[in-house]
Amino acid sequence: MSTAKTLSLTIDGTPCTCESGEYLYDVAKRNGILIPVLCRSDAFEDHRACCRVCIVEVEIKGRRKVVTACVYPVEQECAVYTNSEKIVEERAIVLALLAKRAPESAEIVAMARYYKAPELDRLVELDGGRCILCGRCVQACESLGTGAISTINRGTEKEVSTPYHNPSLACVGCLSCANVCPTGAIPFIQAPSTRSIWGRDFEVLSCERCGAPMGTREEIAYAAKKAGMETPVICDACRKHEIADSMMGTYRLV
Amino acid sequence: MVSNEEVSSIIDAYPRDRRYALAVMQDMQRTFNYVPENGLIATAEHLDCSVAQLYSMATFYKALSLKPKGKHIIKVCDGTACHLRGANNLVTGVKRELGIVPGEVTADGEFSLELVNCLGSCALAPVLVIDGVYHNKVKIDAIPSILKEHATPVVTQ
Ligand code: SF4
Ligand code: FES
Ligand code: FES
Repeated sequence: MSTAKTLSLTIDGTPCTCESGEYLYDVAKRNGILIPVLCRSDAFEDHRACCRVCIVEVEIKGRRKVVTACVYPVEQECAVYTNSEKIVEERAIVLALLAKRAPESAEIVAMARYYKAPELDRLVELDGGRCILCGRCVQACESLGTGAISTINRGTEKEVSTPYHNPSLACVGCLSCANVCPTGAIPFIQAPSTRSIWGRDFEVLSCERCGAPMGTREEIAYAAKKAGMETPVICDACRKHEIADSMMGTYRLV
Repeated sequence: MVSNEEVSSIIDAYPRDRRYALAVMQDMQRTFNYVPENGLIATAEHLDCSVAQLYSMATFYKALSLKPKGKHIIKVCDGTACHLRGANNLVTGVKRELGIVPGEVTADGEFSLELVNCLGSCALAPVLVIDGVYHNKVKIDAIPSILKEHATPVVTQ
């Protein structure tokens, strides 16, 4: 077993330590320095590093380079600058471009404003654009094992969709994709007892005991099947109560 | 429509391993001139992956198509050299003869037309390829006879 080497570095002048190979973004976060990210989610282990908003400058032996912090493994001592003049300017451009792609996304527009993104008047905005094609939704759906959506086509035609743009039979209506989307790009409708997403309508079941909503019929059945359990009819909270009650009963008997 | 039996006869020849996904789809493309929907579904089942993943691949690679292509595939090179030497004229020539633009198939399913990137024969620009046969320094007037050469011969009793 090799024990990872401990390294020291500075981030914006703050001395930090990390293990060799740790991603710069994680090191910074642990030390209270927040680097903006969009496509990176702590929910996944592999990061696609496609949005570029997490760029920072890394200086090693007097040489500086721009890297994406979310996937940059720290392997030697270095000085990191998350807000150098160059980074501030480049990050603003990255966000300006993303804002052209996703002008309908409140999150992106707010971020672009916050980081003082230039207007870039000569570029047109993508009509109705919300998605930045980061692929987080696809990753979420794949990691669940449902695999209802994917990125389709390429170049300017690329988009996230179900096969043939049809209502997906694989979808269980769990909303993982919509929840993990950093830009609010996936439309869905949530009513008290129904839910619609990706062209399908789902029934939302409620706990037979307390009446709290538990999720779609398909989602509950899918999760239970994956865990090798019976499909539950009462919610987690009620089940815990039930277990506690039966334990109490047992102890009273003793 | 391609039958499920025809689809299985292709898929069953491949081991149940995801890395064969592209090979299976290429095979279907060769045999059926496209990747049919029932083919995608059966492949996903055989390789234990999602239809969405295969659909993503099928829409990514230009060599695969989800709609039937023509029996004979006309590729007009639109790389830099061919573009400068009048690839557009060739497209016009084909359109005049067959009435199709790039991406389309003739009504009888005989020909489809595609614009492609540099085919590596820039010195011979403009280049037009039908069913793998290269035609070099093509002039617009030569197109009717080139097409005739490749068309399925009409049998007359
Ligand atoms: S829909 Fe959202 S999560 Fe999916 S690729 Fe687009 S921006 Fe990313
Ligand atoms: S968060 Fe690093 S590239 Fe998107
Ligand atoms: S540009 Fe047509 S062969 Fe190179």
